[in-house]
Amino acid sequence: MLRWSALIVAVGICLLLGLATGEQWINPFAASSPLEQTILWDLRFPRLLTAFAVGGLLALAGAWFQVLLGNPLAEPYVLGVAGSASAGAVTGLMFIPESAWVMSAGAFIGAWIGIVAVMFFSHLGANRMLLAGVVLAAFWSAVLALLLALLPEQGLFRAFSWMMGDLSHSDLPIPLLLVAWAIALTCGVMLSRSLDKLLLGERHAEALGVDVKKLRQRLLLLASAVTALAVTAAGTIGFVGLVIPHLMRLLFGSLHSAVLPASAIGGGLLLVLADSAARTIIAPAELPVGILTAIIGVPVFLFLLLRRTQ
Amino acid sequence: MSSLMRLSNLTVQRGGAILLSGLSCELRAGEIVVVLGPNGAGKSSLLLALAALIPASGNIALDGKDLSDYSRNELTGQIAWQGELPPTEFGLTVRQRLELAAGEEMGSVESTAANMDIIPLLERPLGQLSSGERQRTELAALMLRQTPIWLLDEPTAHLDLKHQIHCINMMKAQRSQGRAIVTVLHDIQQAMAVADHLILIDGKGGAEYGEAQDLFANTKLSQLFDAPVITEGAVLVPDYGDRK
Repeated sequence: MLRWSALIVAVGICLLLGLATGEQWINPFAASSPLEQTILWDLRFPRLLTAFAVGGLLALAGAWFQVLLGNPLAEPYVLGVAGSASAGAVTGLMFIPESAWVMSAGAFIGAWIGIVAVMFFSHLGANRMLLAGVVLAAFWSAVLALLLALLPEQGLFRAFSWMMGDLSHSDLPIPLLLVAWAIALTCGVMLSRSLDKLLLGERHAEALGVDVKKLRQRLLLLASAVTALAVTAAGTIGFVGLVIPHLMRLLFGSLHSAVLPASAIGGGLLLVLADSAARTIIAPAELPVGILTAIIGVPVFLFLLLRRTQ
Repeated sequence: MSSLMRLSNLTVQRGGAILLSGLSCELRAGEIVVVLGPNGAGKSSLLLALAALIPASGNIALDGKDLSDYSRNELTGQIAWQGELPPTEFGLTVRQRLELAAGEEMGSVESTAANMDIIPLLERPLGQLSSGERQRTELAALMLRQTPIWLLDEPTAHLDLKHQIHCINMMKAQRSQGRAIVTVLHDIQQAMAVADHLILIDGKGGAEYGEAQDLFANTKLSQLFDAPVITEGAVLVPDYGDRK
C-alpha cells in the first residue's frame, strides 16, 4: 500500500513540476497574469496529459509484448510496428510537408499495416513470431531509410524529431488518449490472471485452462493497437515500454493485477518527467523526449536492480 | 475400479515422424500406469496428447466422451499435467506459482507446500531455486490440482533420494485415494514400486500395453532399452558390470 501511495504522490508531484517548468518557471498556485494562465492550462497541461497517456500506453504495451513473446527484452516496437508507423509518417510528410495531421494519419495507417503484417505470424510460437517481427522490423527500417533518402531536405529535421519522440506536435484529442489509456488498462486487468498463467509457459498455461491461441491473438492485437496509438500521438519514444514493466515488477511483484496498473501509471510518470526536462534543459529549444526517457530511466532502473540483487 | 480414460488405436506424431501408433488401453481410477522407453521415443508426447496439449489421431475418450469435445476449462477440472519446469525470467515466487495452480483453493497452498518441504521457499522467486527445489514446487502445484487424472512426466527428475522416495510414496497415496496416474519414469526400480500397468514405447513406432507383472521381464526391458538389465533378487536392475 505504501508503494502505491508513493507512486500516486509521485505522479502528483511530477504533474505539478511539469506545469511549473519550461522556458519560464511559473508557480501553478500563484499564476496571476492571463499569459501565465494560458501557458499553464492551454499549453503545458494538455501536453502533460498527452505525455502521461502516451507513457502509460507504451508501458502497458511493453508489459504485454514481454509476456506474449515470453521474452523480457521485448518492447512495443519489437515486431516492427514503430518502423512501419515511421515509414507511414514520413510518407505523409513527403506529400503534405506542412501538415502535422497528415503525418499523424500516415503514422497511424503505417502502424496498422505493420500490425496486419505481424498478425499473419500470430499462429506461430512465441520465438518464431519474435523472429518474424524482428525481420519485419528490419524491412520497415529499410523502407524508412529509402523514404528518408527521398525526402526533401527541409522535411528531414521534422522527420528525425518525430522519430526520436516528439510531444510538441501531437494533435490527437487528449480525451481520446485518456479513454484509450483507461480502456487498455481495464482490458489488461481483465486478462491479468491468464497473463500470469502465461508466465509459466504456453503448455502450463493451457493445462491450467487458458485458451493460449485466442489469448495470444487478443494480446497481439491489443498491444499493437495501443502501440499504434502511442506512436501516432508522439512518434517513437524508446525505453519506456522496455524498462517500466521491469521496474514495476521489481517494486510491485510479478502478478499482472499489480504490474499493469503500476506500469500504466509509472510509464506516464516517466514520460511526464522526461518531457518536462526536455522542454526545460535547453529552453526555448527542446530536446527529443526519447533521449530524456533513457537518461532518467536507466540510472533509476539500474539502482533498483542492484539494490534488489543485494 | 471405474474406467476414466480409454485410448483406441492412438497414434502420436511429432514433426512428421510417427512416435507411436496403434496404442489401445484403458485408464482406471486408483491405478498407476508407468510409461517406459528410450530417450526420444515419445513418452512425453504421449502425455501431452493425453492432456490434449498436442493433437493425436485415433481416439481418446474421457468419461465416454471424446477428448476433443471438451473445452480447455472443462479439461482443467479433469486432468492435471506436470511436465517441463516453467521459465523463471519474470520473477514469479513459489507462492505465486502455487496459487496459479490452486485456482480458488488458496487455503491449501501452505499445507501442500509443507508436504513437499518447500515452506521456507514460498517467498523466493523460482529463478533462485535449484532444479530439485523447482521440481518439488511443480509437484506441489500438481498436488493442488484435485483432478481425477494426473499425468506426470518424470516426477522424480532432479530430486534427491529422500524426495524421490517421498514422491513415489505420494503417488501410491494418491492411487489409494482413487486417483488415476500416468507417469513417465526412467528408474526401473521406481517403476516396479508403483506400476499397475505399463506402456512400453520402443522409439520405432511400436507401443505395448499390459499388466506390469507380465511386462517386467529382464529380456523385454533389455530389448526395449537396448541395454543389459538383470534380475537381482526380486527386482530388475541395470547391469553396470562388476562392482568394487
